[in-house]
Amino acid sequence: MEALNAFSVSLQAVWNDSGFSAFTPGNGIMILVGLLLLYMAFVKEFEPLLLGPIAFGCILANFPNTGFFGEEMNVMKAINYGITYEIFPPLIFLGIGAMTDFSPLLARPSTLLLGAAAQIGVFVALGGAMLVGFDVHEAAAIGIIGGADGPTSIYLSTKLAPHLLGAIAVAAYSYMSLVPLIQPPIMKLMTTQKEREIVMKELRPVTKFERVVFPIVSTIFISLLLPPIAALLGCLMLGNLFRESGVTDRLSDTAQNALINIVTIFLGTGTGMTMSAESFLRTDTLLIIALGLVAFMGGTAGGLIFGKIMCKFTGGEINPLIGSAGVSAVPMAARVSQLVGMKSKPGNYLLMHAMGPNVAGVIGTAVAAGTMLAMLK
Amino acid sequence: MEHSPVTTNPLIIMLINMTVVFIVLVALIYLIKLIHFVDPTKEKPKPEVEEEEPLVAVKSAPAVSAPPVVEEGINPEIIAAISAAIAAYGFAGTVKAVHILNHESTPWKASAKFNNLQRK
Repeated sequence: MEALNAFSVSLQAVWNDSGFSAFTPGNGIMILVGLLLLYMAFVKEFEPLLLGPIAFGCILANFPNTGFFGEEMNVMKAINYGITYEIFPPLIFLGIGAMTDFSPLLARPSTLLLGAAAQIGVFVALGGAMLVGFDVHEAAAIGIIGGADGPTSIYLSTKLAPHLLGAIAVAAYSYMSLVPLIQPPIMKLMTTQKEREIVMKELRPVTKFERVVFPIVSTIFISLLLPPIAALLGCLMLGNLFRESGVTDRLSDTAQNALINIVTIFLGTGTGMTMSAESFLRTDTLLIIALGLVAFMGGTAGGLIFGKIMCKFTGGEINPLIGSAGVSAVPMAARVSQLVGMKSKPGNYLLMHAMGPNVAGVIGTAVAAGTMLAMLK
Repeated sequence: MEHSPVTTNPLIIMLINMTVVFIVLVALIYLIKLIHFVDPTKEKPKPEVEEEEPLVAVKSAPAVSAPPVVEEGINPEIIAAISAAIAAYGFAGTVKAVHILNHESTPWKASAKFNNLQRK
């Protein structure tokens, strides 16, 4: 009898400690959301490197009684610190910097204006978010989705609206992966066939001196002007300096391969871990996803409009299609410009020209984030 | 140090932010131009064509009759050898399209062409 009693008590204890006893319908829905994201990442190949870990993190976050965010330190809590204390986004930028060639931007610096114009989407979404009831901090974090820059979106939302991090990160990375679907219809709608057929002149060669001095000078200038983004911009330019110096190949190789891969796993998983049922299953999430789309489309349209203006002022030397690359999804947005240009006129290679506004968009989004932090924090 | 937002008017926030973004990026344009201006390694623009010497009629020497070079293409034996080497390396796919790549292409153009080939 005593043995039976002990067996019953033990079973009761196992049940009470299990996730099933505290499992809610919300957890079930979020695990399904995680599975859907996994499907999108691995079957449909929508940004699989990031959406994969985010999806799995989302599933993990919805198991009750795991103690991931309890008192005791554990690996998931440590990963979460990397996001809470804004460690991962700058490290991702270090890798992006090491992978980015600034030569097209240096050869034609006027394309920085396209990177600035594409930030219009950020501020349109910010205004829209405030109109539907988000406070100014939340609206700023939502608006930055329009920059199509995942690390900056995570960086800003961690600082301004940490409770919205999961929804903002998912929206940002989902739209980034959908660039080839979202942008072409807007590009065709806003440009004429004649404009799309413009063949741009070859870019001038850029010297090593320019490529080495630019990251140093721009870091000094932007970090002094907007200290809140010194970590982001500094890491981007340091990575680029590793690449361009010619004497730090090992560091450049580490930054653009091993380091960025490791940090991507942690950033994705940690972001997914913020997608618990109680923080994600809200009407706000749907609004954020809708506003993110508005931001993204607005950014694309802003870049194209400015591209058309530049086309007019340069007497038809600029193909407006490169304007859409001002949103900073590198290098996807530049590839889309190239693809639409090629469809309009086979043999018209816009990739090199579109990389200028594309990397300008990365800087522009970081500057927009820094400005909002300076104004709002 | 945290402080309350300067304004919560969406329109004013939008205008201020866009202005700052444009000012910063325009300043960067001038920084890039300055770097290019002070660059000690850049190629100096070539001087204008020097004063041409007056043309003097020179009695043309009889042309040396060089044998005309006939482009015969690549030797079929070489093509066969390359094909055999590729086959030995394990290539067993079917050729979907043949593209002639321009050798004078820049790395960026080559990248764009490669990108398009991957999509086909």
